[in-house]
Amino acid sequence: MSEFFLELFTEEMPPSLQNNAKIEFLEILKNFLDEKKISYNKLYYSISTPNRLIFYFKDIVEEFEKKTEEIRGPRVDANKESLEGFLKSKNISKKKIFIKKTPKGEFYFYKIPSIKVSTKKILQENMPFLLQRIKWKKSMKWGNYELSWGRPLKSILCLFNGTSLNFVFYHLKSSNKTFINKDDEIKTRTFKNFVSYKNYFKQAGVIVDDRERKLSIKKNLEKISKAKNFNLNINLKLLDEITNIVEKPKVILCSFDKKFLEIPREVIQLTIENHQKFFPISDKKNNLLNYFFSVIDKEDKFGLIKKGNESVVDARLTDAEYFWKKNKSQSMLKYVSKLENVNYFNGLGNYLDKTKRLKNLCSVISDELLISKEKLELASTIAKVDLLFDLVNEFPELQGVLGGYFAESQGFEKEVCLAVSEHYLPSGLNSRTPKNNYSIALSLSDKLDALVGFFGLDLVPTSSKDPYALRRMAIGLIKLIIENKKSFKLKEMIDYSCQLYNNQSINFDRKSVHTNLSIFIIDRLKNYMKEKGIRLDIIESSLIDFDLNNIFVIFTKADRLNKIIKKQVGIDLIENYKRAFNILNSETQLQNEDYKGSADPALFKSNFEKDLFKKIHDIRKNFTSINLENDYDSQLSLLASLKKEVENFFDNVIVNDNDVVIKKNRLELLKMLCNTFDKYFNFEKIEFLNEKAGI
Amino acid sequence: MVSKKTKKLITFQETIFNLQNYWSNHGCLILQPYDVEVGAGTFHPATTLRSLGPEKWKAAYVQPSRRPSDGRYGENPNRLQHYYQFQVLIKPSPENIKKLFLDSLSSIGIDKNVHDIRFIEDDWESPTLGAAGLGWEVWCDGMEITQFTYFQQMAGVQCSPVSVELTYGLERICMFVQEKSNVFDILWNKDGTLYKDIYKENEKQFSKYNFELANIDYLFNTFESLEKEAKNLLLNKLPLPAYDHSLKASHVFNILDSRGAISTAQRAGYISRIRDLVKEVGLKWLEEKK
Repeated sequence: MSEFFLELFTEEMPPSLQNNAKIEFLEILKNFLDEKKISYNKLYYSISTPNRLIFYFKDIVEEFEKKTEEIRGPRVDANKESLEGFLKSKNISKKKIFIKKTPKGEFYFYKIPSIKVSTKKILQENMPFLLQRIKWKKSMKWGNYELSWGRPLKSILCLFNGTSLNFVFYHLKSSNKTFINKDDEIKTRTFKNFVSYKNYFKQAGVIVDDRERKLSIKKNLEKISKAKNFNLNINLKLLDEITNIVEKPKVILCSFDKKFLEIPREVIQLTIENHQKFFPISDKKNNLLNYFFSVIDKEDKFGLIKKGNESVVDARLTDAEYFWKKNKSQSMLKYVSKLENVNYFNGLGNYLDKTKRLKNLCSVISDELLISKEKLELASTIAKVDLLFDLVNEFPELQGVLGGYFAESQGFEKEVCLAVSEHYLPSGLNSRTPKNNYSIALSLSDKLDALVGFFGLDLVPTSSKDPYALRRMAIGLIKLIIENKKSFKLKEMIDYSCQLYNNQSINFDRKSVHTNLSIFIIDRLKNYMKEKGIRLDIIESSLIDFDLNNIFVIFTKADRLNKIIKKQVGIDLIENYKRAFNILNSETQLQNEDYKGSADPALFKSNFEKDLFKKIHDIRKNFTSINLENDYDSQLSLLASLKKEVENFFDNVIVNDNDVVIKKNRLELLKMLCNTFDKYFNFEKIEFLNEKAGI
Repeated sequence: MVSKKTKKLITFQETIFNLQNYWSNHGCLILQPYDVEVGAGTFHPATTLRSLGPEKWKAAYVQPSRRPSDGRYGENPNRLQHYYQFQVLIKPSPENIKKLFLDSLSSIGIDKNVHDIRFIEDDWESPTLGAAGLGWEVWCDGMEITQFTYFQQMAGVQCSPVSVELTYGLERICMFVQEKSNVFDILWNKDGTLYKDIYKENEKQFSKYNFELANIDYLFNTFESLEKEAKNLLLNKLPLPAYDHSLKASHVFNILDSRGAISTAQRAGYISRIRDLVKEVGLKWLEEKK
């Protein structure tokens, strides 16, 4: 039993490439061993540092058996040449072959004997091909070499059972040596096994296992936070990234001048996290503090690194502060007209044009939401002004948010500031959805204007490309509606939006905007419902009678049905419908007759028919009563409550009566039942999954 | 900042001398700045054009660089519309380039044993040059001091062999080594001349020009004329003068941009016009050399 250990030493490999290669090549190795039926211990893994990709397998068999195999040769009655050819190709004498009958006739066969193969040998032969299979998301060449790799590959250490596994990969030869210092690539060291390798680097302060490295960083962050009473909210994505750009992590606590805390918190956080890859810190009340953690890759003997880290943050915050102070004193209202100089999109006018459209859309929505038209119009007027300000230029990801801060510092009302701040939200499936009516209105207008505009220009996303992020825009729209339980007259708003473009001499084919946008929104709604765990057949059914103005109702009906479909009430409900529908469906096809759902009580022969008829009537009455209008749970219970009458009907009444008139009347009764269900939605496509119940 | 023993400050001009000496000792030609306004050291023909083709090439030089929209009237401690880069270009990229680079830092006062030097992924792309490369920003204690790039493409042509480009940000390095929080306080020489004594007024005047006074019509016309001239030179198989005119057009575009005269929609169009010129220059240059 042997260990296999491979180290690929490169110049600093970016975290994402490290991770991909680590996962992908481990899989390639595993598949290769499996394919060759070479057994190994299931505890195999890959780890990395910025410069070292390490793959490890243990308890690999040193030899494995290549099993016997029967090979069919020519037919017994074939000519002599073909037999000779076969013997020659296998390099065997005639003694080794035998005759065997098959359904296709008699053939010569040869049995290749089982042989022992050395695992090391087969690995040696195959390593170059296996390495070649890594698919880099980005790769590069360097020097004069032909090899294309994530970053320059400098050395390959490969051990099998204590000795080097030798192979040639482009200009490189594998060996049992590696560079011990990532920065000088001169001194090398020979290793015999993985344990000695790990221990050697441990003594040198390098943690080669990224999992251990991450844990060590996390522990140190937690330790200091506890001692200082900080509220530690580790950004896990950042932690992963940091783990993969250091090899000997140390955590240090740094600070910056308190005066910078007057800058919007998001600016400080972004500076510290995204730009500098440090961890911002807040107190227990979640107030941002003038401290941050830095994970450094070296012992900070003289405190120079801390000092350097602090001065970089200081410089960046000084920059931000300069713009913050400058911008917040620039009157947003005075700047609105300058939006004329900022192009929104070729063919959709500039940002002043967009602002005017938003204002009009907002005014319609304010009527629907019964909120102050003046306030909302004000919010829409200044919403895009921050695009003119330097600070947004510096931090484009904070557009809107910074607008909110500027508005606040200029004394606009709270709801106006909030609406400006939140109007790009939600920016995706997992993004927060604004709850305030002013924010909802502004965000909805912004998204609708964009969707109508881009669809008007026929810049519709394709399956792979969505350069204007219209999918996110539509998802945002859907979330705004559903998560705020609102119903908007979207159809009319789309028309109005087209009209607003038209007023600016931007003309769209309204009909195609309507059609294409509807289809697009249905698709996004489908996705949204899938994400919420709603069954596919329920989603499909809920969308049969899609209406843009009813997105919230459509979603809610699907969602409520999905919640009960596996419970008794759901099973009853579907069973009721399916029993009626299946008979009706087969009869409709046979008779080629259309039923309207108007049964004549005078033709009923039994009480079971009368009871069912009466029950359906009761349900219909209740369904339209004001109490149940938006109470979908009760509507579903109501439909399920038909169970007794439906069962009695089918147990005691034969639909297929000899008297054609009576038969037709019974089918009309069943149609009436189905029509009643249609008041919720079309149940035709709902699958009946309860085997026990059967139909 | 370095350590107690070497307390003496390395001035701005010494930083340049030291880098020149270091790279000269490692076989680089020491060239002078290109005499046309450029946005970065990469635009010097010693980088763009020389990175093309199979010949070996090793060069280093200082390049004054202009980025009109980065001007702040001399009021911002970290931003300038005119600054200096020290540029090294070696083709093919040597095996030990990383060590060579790290050692060069000690010549300008940055001891890698006491500072946290980090290589942070930064894949570089210059749309105007039709160029792309893979590499890093080199951070010293969290501050970016150098761009380290393996060119993969230049002027739209695949690089073979691959060149390595090192671009040192001289002001940043000096601010760091001299422990200054304001770029204008950098010590230029030992006699106490400061960066601001030389450049503060330039920043004021050029910011005023770039942002407020540049004549938009004149510059748009100039752009057209420069492009026309470059095209004509290309027709006449003179890629070098054509390149000069492309660079000038690029600078005119940058001024128009800082003046706010170029909309987002127009930007892509202008950039691709310059890229087309540079691409053609690259091809002609390769042809003419044959």
